[in-house]
Amino acid sequence: MASSMVLGIAVLIYLMITSYCGWLGYKHTKSTDDFMVGGRKVNPFILALSYGAAFISTSAIIGFGGYAGAFGMGILWLVFMNIFVGIFIAFVAFGSRTRRMGVNLKAVTFPELIGRRFQSRFIQGFSGLLIAIFMPIYTSGVLIGGARFMETALGIDYNTSVLIITIITAAYVIIGGLLAVMYTDAMQGALMFIGMAILMVLTYTKLGGVTEAHQALTNLAYLVPETMAQQGHTGWTSMPAFGSPIWWTLVSTIILGVGIGVLAQPQLAVRFMTVKDTTSLKRAVLSGGPFIFMMVGVAYVVGALSNVYFINTRGMLSIDVAGGNIDKIIPEYINSAMPEIFIVFFMLTLLAAAMSTLSSQFHNMGTAIGHDLYREFIMHGKIGHTISITKLGIALTIIISVILAYILPAGIIARATAIFFGLTAAAFLPMYTGAIFWKRMTKEGAIASLLVGTFSSLFWLTFVHEKEATALGISQAVFGQATLITGTWTLVDPILVATPLSVLVAIIVSLLTKPASKEHIEKCFGKTM
Amino acid sequence: MLGIDDPQIWLAYLLSIGSALGCIIYGLVHWNYKDPLEEN
Repeated sequence: MASSMVLGIAVLIYLMITSYCGWLGYKHTKSTDDFMVGGRKVNPFILALSYGAAFISTSAIIGFGGYAGAFGMGILWLVFMNIFVGIFIAFVAFGSRTRRMGVNLKAVTFPELIGRRFQSRFIQGFSGLLIAIFMPIYTSGVLIGGARFMETALGIDYNTSVLIITIITAAYVIIGGLLAVMYTDAMQGALMFIGMAILMVLTYTKLGGVTEAHQALTNLAYLVPETMAQQGHTGWTSMPAFGSPIWWTLVSTIILGVGIGVLAQPQLAVRFMTVKDTTSLKRAVLSGGPFIFMMVGVAYVVGALSNVYFINTRGMLSIDVAGGNIDKIIPEYINSAMPEIFIVFFMLTLLAAAMSTLSSQFHNMGTAIGHDLYREFIMHGKIGHTISITKLGIALTIIISVILAYILPAGIIARATAIFFGLTAAAFLPMYTGAIFWKRMTKEGAIASLLVGTFSSLFWLTFVHEKEATALGISQAVFGQATLITGTWTLVDPILVATPLSVLVAIIVSLLTKPASKEHIEKCFGKTM
Repeated sequence: MLGIDDPQIWLAYLLSIGSALGCIIYGLVHWNYKDPLEEN
């Protein structure tokens, strides 16, 4: 356990800097535009770090890093997807159009952008509702990640850790809005970058070099436990057996679900509307790519390599050291293998990772309830009690997230993230893509896509996809069987079924319905687009 | 390659590094890019 005095001082300094960044955001927040989209003049470097820090949470580092510890380096495909899709495609293809349309339509939230593009308050309200209901699952995954590390490294009770992280973050989000979120994110992002860089160097050094470390891990393949081998585990430096349960989870839920789902993350897409021009978005790619690599690339490689360290020192695999809970692999490794001063620093890295993602989630859930659902859908644009409702929304969703963090089962972090990313991919991605790329897409097409994406995804989760269906028990209660169908389909993630369905419906219904007026399309896209 | 036998894994490893480097190069090349639509 880290020396409490050093840690106490470090945490204090960290919190002082966080408060300063939060105060800076508060000082520069004078209008609704400032609170919602940072006044649309945020620096590209701040955007890149803030986007990356909000994107990468303890869920990625602890949850997916732990997954790599248990199942190996196949998850490196997610690193590639995170950089290529999550940064390059997102900034270059989606970012500039989102930003321009956001300005043209004076939209300040992601649901509002889509709602105004399709002239539908229903789309805005329903999207807001979806965020308010389901984002807490993802938020609780992030909370669990941060709290687990505090529990392991500092010996602070898990429940207390959850509360500490929540209260600090909620304070600056409620006071300073998106500017406070982005300034603190950027500072936290810089801290995360340094922390992960040190972790990578120390791990490879400790294990004798890059090739040597990988080779040692390759040589451990014979130690794969029998139960895991039956599920398709073939070793930590090879892909799981094609078509096996582990392969399906890795490829469909993790690599595709999270890899593609990121494009339709409302808390990330809203950031494109915070910069002043396309140049800023292009410049942000420069720091965004390496940042993501340093976060997830390092976490997954280190997670997998922790097996070599634990076999060398204790003769045990990481999953056994962690008592079977994959969420504890990274904390156990850091605690056992790293020098004490680094444990302190890494603690701050993780606190930063958790808080930067949580802050953007809190902000997003609050605006979804206050702005999208209450002001636009219920009050039809009248301001009413929007500010109070937004703050109440933040408080309510925080409470739900905290409750979920207490009751969700162990080893849930990576799955909770994947569920939310999968749902947003099916519900939002076809509609969002159509909104900014396809002028012919109609309001009816968008609504149909949103509803079909949402409900087919939820149906698949509840009645077909074995992991969730069994845990929820609804299928069992209603139909007397754990899943409605059996066989390989029960391993296929909802994203692979619901997203294509949602795309298909969007295209068919749009082509069958009357297009929006030429004036409206010109207003959305600008005259020359 | 790199102590990893399965090409599906070392390819992912190299692609991750390559795409991060690609982002740096893209950012540098487009540092002074001006969007013609915004110029208007």
